[in-house]
Amino acid sequence: MSQRAAVTLVDPANPPSRKAPLVWAIGAAIPWLVLAVGQVVWFAVVDDRLAWAHVTAAAVTVVGMAVFVIVVPLWRYRVHRWDISPQAVYTRSGWLVQERRIAPISRVQTVDTYRGPLDRLFGLANVTVTTASSAGAVRIVALDSAVADRVVGQLTDIAAIGAGDAT
Amino acid sequence: MLLVHPVHEVLRQIPLLVGAVVVGSATGNSWWTVAIVALTIAFGVLRWFTTTYRIETDEVQLRTGVLQRKVVSLPRNRIRSVQTDARLLHQLLGLTVLRVSTGQQVRGDTEFALDAVRVEEVPRLRSILLADSLAAADQAEAQAPGRQLARWQLSWLRYSPLSFTGLAMILAAVGVTYQAGLGAILEHSRLAESGRDAAQRFGVVASVAVFGVVVVLASVGLSVLRSLVTFGNLTLRRDAEVLHLQHGLLRKREHTFDMRRLRGGTLRQPLLVRLLGGARLDAVMTGVAGAGEASLLLPPCPVRTAESVLTDLIADVNTVSGPVRGHGPAATRRRWTRGLVFPVVVAAGLVLAAAFVAVPPWAWIAVAALALTCALLAADRVRALGHRVDDRWLVARAGSLERRRDCIAAEGIIGWTVRQTFFQRRAGVATLIAATAAGVKHYQVIDVPAELSWSIAGTASPWVADSEWARS
Repeated sequence: MSQRAAVTLVDPANPPSRKAPLVWAIGAAIPWLVLAVGQVVWFAVVDDRLAWAHVTAAAVTVVGMAVFVIVVPLWRYRVHRWDISPQAVYTRSGWLVQERRIAPISRVQTVDTYRGPLDRLFGLANVTVTTASSAGAVRIVALDSAVADRVVGQLTDIAAIGAGDAT
Repeated sequence: MLLVHPVHEVLRQIPLLVGAVVVGSATGNSWWTVAIVALTIAFGVLRWFTTTYRIETDEVQLRTGVLQRKVVSLPRNRIRSVQTDARLLHQLLGLTVLRVSTGQQVRGDTEFALDAVRVEEVPRLRSILLADSLAAADQAEAQAPGRQLARWQLSWLRYSPLSFTGLAMILAAVGVTYQAGLGAILEHSRLAESGRDAAQRFGVVASVAVFGVVVVLASVGLSVLRSLVTFGNLTLRRDAEVLHLQHGLLRKREHTFDMRRLRGGTLRQPLLVRLLGGARLDAVMTGVAGAGEASLLLPPCPVRTAESVLTDLIADVNTVSGPVRGHGPAATRRRWTRGLVFPVVVAAGLVLAAAFVAVPPWAWIAVAALALTCALLAADRVRALGHRVDDRWLVARAGSLERRRDCIAAEGIIGWTVRQTFFQRRAGVATLIAATAAGVKHYQVIDVPAELSWSIAGTASPWVADSEWARS
């Protein structure tokens, strides 16, 4: 085996937008708030017996909300990083399960931008770089719109130079 | 051709025909039956008249549909493989179904299938359809005649009783019987009565045992029969850059693979097949689905045959059968903890239960047997786990119940992922995932030491080692 010298990859340099944790928190808070309203309705309108059930449900909601609205967005913001070189695009993402993914720009097939309602409200954008493999798509999430536009332009410029059918 | 459609239409509409016969006999007017049979046949004939195909310079078109017109068109440079598939009736009439695949997942309607073309026309159609990709290969073929890589042997049948296909078929048959409402009829039949009498005479244990033996024997018989019918007469032939696979006794199938799209192969050894020294071989190709029958090159056969065929295809003997590098103590520990968590939890539950109620002795024996099985599986997993990498091939081996050795061409890898769960980070290991456009699209190297993961990626893909983030 012609194993080369040991190689490690340093983490990519660029963080997502400063507004990313806020957007993620709001996105996570909406379903939990719906659940909380449902519980209030259950307690106030439908049935206020079974005190232990109400207390348990309320505790689960409070803990779940604290984890997914406060802890997870901050954790994700600490983990998420991205970087682009003329040869490759490289990201780090996740929180409990963390992924580092690298793909060569010569094999890029499409570059998509996605803006959800919340993203539009806060001026964010998500860039997805797909390759010929369904397992090889690289997602750079929660970028400022201006940064996203620059990234897309940069990627399409480099990708256009490459030839071949990218498989 | 004009015969196949009506007959298959009649066969497909059997439930309708049964209904027609019932209506006919119930109303006492057998014209109902005749009318419905005639309509079905007429529909089949119409299907033939309304189906046309056209081969143009840059695309092929198939127009079908009696009431709903449908046009499927494929760009010719996207055609990846051409398969033929002849059922019994087709074979009797010298016909075959020709399927064109672009490697995209297609379901029923959008599939490009020419139902019933003459067998003699297939080579011509195939060379026209694959003209772009096989032109060079045809010339080479003219110079050097094809070489046979493998041929089905009767002894391969010894691996087939060890699969669950027979059992699955029995369960499916039982399900269909009950759904059709025949279950109730059976329960009151004389056969069931005599069965119940026999059960009462011999006792419950004996009759359950007999029933079990009968089911096992039937399942084994069906598995062997299915294997014989599906894979009998299999031949794998290589003509320079084209791979021809032919199999089937009653239903003849033929696949043509373009060797230039081959990105490796997977040797799969389910536990029971492995115990008898067997293996099956799947091709890893772009444009061919990664799992199931589409990518199958060899059904369970002696491991030496599978290895020699794969060696012939990828021309690297070490990749196919060379030793692999183990993943170290952390990965070993993870295999053991994963294997033993379940029996330990069960045993703890049993100990807890024993504190309150009397636990029968067989329960302890069962837990001990479970623990032993899990321990053996964990040990086998540890032994299997490993990888091997050079600048041309990535090899990943893993698994016990379903052991697989994936051999992936380094040049076909178009992306790398290093994934770490919370527990993997604590153990200092990572799962390395190679993304490719071929086969099942992602191939995993499980629980490699974290510091080694990017070295493996860098060895197979120089662009990783040369990237601006690499540090050695």
